[in-house]
Amino acid sequence: MKKLEGKMIATGGIIGIIAALLVKFGNPVNMGVCVACFFRDIAGGLGLHRAQVVQYLRPEIPGFILGSFGMAKAKGEFKSRGGATPLIRFILGFFLMVGALVFLGCPLRMILRLANGDLNALVGLVGYAAGIAVGIEFLKRGFTLGKSTAQPAASGYTMPVLALGILGLLIAAPAFVFFSESGPGAMKAPMLMSLGAGLLIGAMLQRTRLCTAGGFRDAMLIKDFHYLWGLIGIFVFALAGNLVFNFEAFKLGFAGQPIAHTEHIWNFLGMALAGVTAVLLGGCPLRQTILAGEGDSDAAVTILGLIAGAAFAHNFGLAASANGVPLNGKIAVIIGFIVVLIIGVSVVQHVNRQSIATRSKKEGGASVGI
Amino acid sequence: MDYYCVMTFNSTSHALNFEKLFKGRGIAVRLMPVPRQVSSSCGTAAELPCQLREEIQKLCHQQHIEYDEVHMIHHKQQKNWFADWIKK
Repeated sequence: MKKLEGKMIATGGIIGIIAALLVKFGNPVNMGVCVACFFRDIAGGLGLHRAQVVQYLRPEIPGFILGSFGMAKAKGEFKSRGGATPLIRFILGFFLMVGALVFLGCPLRMILRLANGDLNALVGLVGYAAGIAVGIEFLKRGFTLGKSTAQPAASGYTMPVLALGILGLLIAAPAFVFFSESGPGAMKAPMLMSLGAGLLIGAMLQRTRLCTAGGFRDAMLIKDFHYLWGLIGIFVFALAGNLVFNFEAFKLGFAGQPIAHTEHIWNFLGMALAGVTAVLLGGCPLRQTILAGEGDSDAAVTILGLIAGAAFAHNFGLAASANGVPLNGKIAVIIGFIVVLIIGVSVVQHVNRQSIATRSKKEGGASVGI
Repeated sequence: MDYYCVMTFNSTSHALNFEKLFKGRGIAVRLMPVPRQVSSSCGTAAELPCQLREEIQKLCHQQHIEYDEVHMIHHKQQKNWFADWIKK
């Protein structure tokens, strides 16, 4: 068992160090790796939203997908599969992104922010755990998005091909693609370095299945700390990496943190929304990206939901900024909770009806004779 | 080669029902993340004593505990430099 823990800490540690290095070489501070932010930047780069400061076709994301794809192919684990309640996945992915952009970062960036002294991320962490606890209550009552089934090859190859397309657009840089000239979108590590980091992380995570939501969920639900060790590895090594490579950017406190705000309630609620949606989806945005690379088209639909969520978040003025959370963003988070609650109750009711139906069918034969 | 058995489920609540049933009967079952040899989902599985697996499956049918499959997993002896290093 000890050996596995070492492996998880090592995986997390490499991600933490890569994140610190990407910041050193140009990515925005505390955003060495951020899955939500990078999908948001890609949505901007494709012109799906027009927030001029967050538009860039981040090569890390195609890296995650293709790294996972390559590793899954090499190990014979690539399987085209899907068909497990895709529309609900899209909606959950959408609101996961809304929650993340109100907090300003996905769960991975939350850990990286914490590792750079940003205590607002601690509030986010408590919110994330609270959201996961709510999600677990739904799981206990029977919530499931069903079992995926084998699908045509074209379905599983969609995301890897899309990843290649994004890389192609990044390199060709046609006029219809947007690149930020200022702001976080203009801050970037060299393209090949970002891509290489993405490929490495993608390949590693395909092997280890590390998932930020899974880490907390398993710790709370079944007292299993396998994935949590990986998260601890990310935190410890990102902290060490930041102190070594980005010492001048390290700052302990709430105020004046990079790409962050101090509205505690909304840091809490934003991450709580991300937590509950991630648990219901069976994985955080990072995990969904890895799964999409290994042929899971349900995860691919979730990613489309994330991208749509990011586009709406900026088009409708929902996303937070260093100035705080706009009113629209607050309303969107509340709508998100209502929608998630309705989905949760609806699925649980459906599952319970199904199980009563199959039971009465099984027992039906016996009762006739009585 | 070392091995152990796991049962996979279609939903987490099935796994929880399973645990409740067998813990109460004093059978050593333990919930765990699904081992990657079986599936790469982010879900929950249960480790169980291999010699009891047929009995357990029978009891699951009787008690309406839904499960997916039972797998036998072989431990592979792998070298991992980092894990060795951490242990030092």
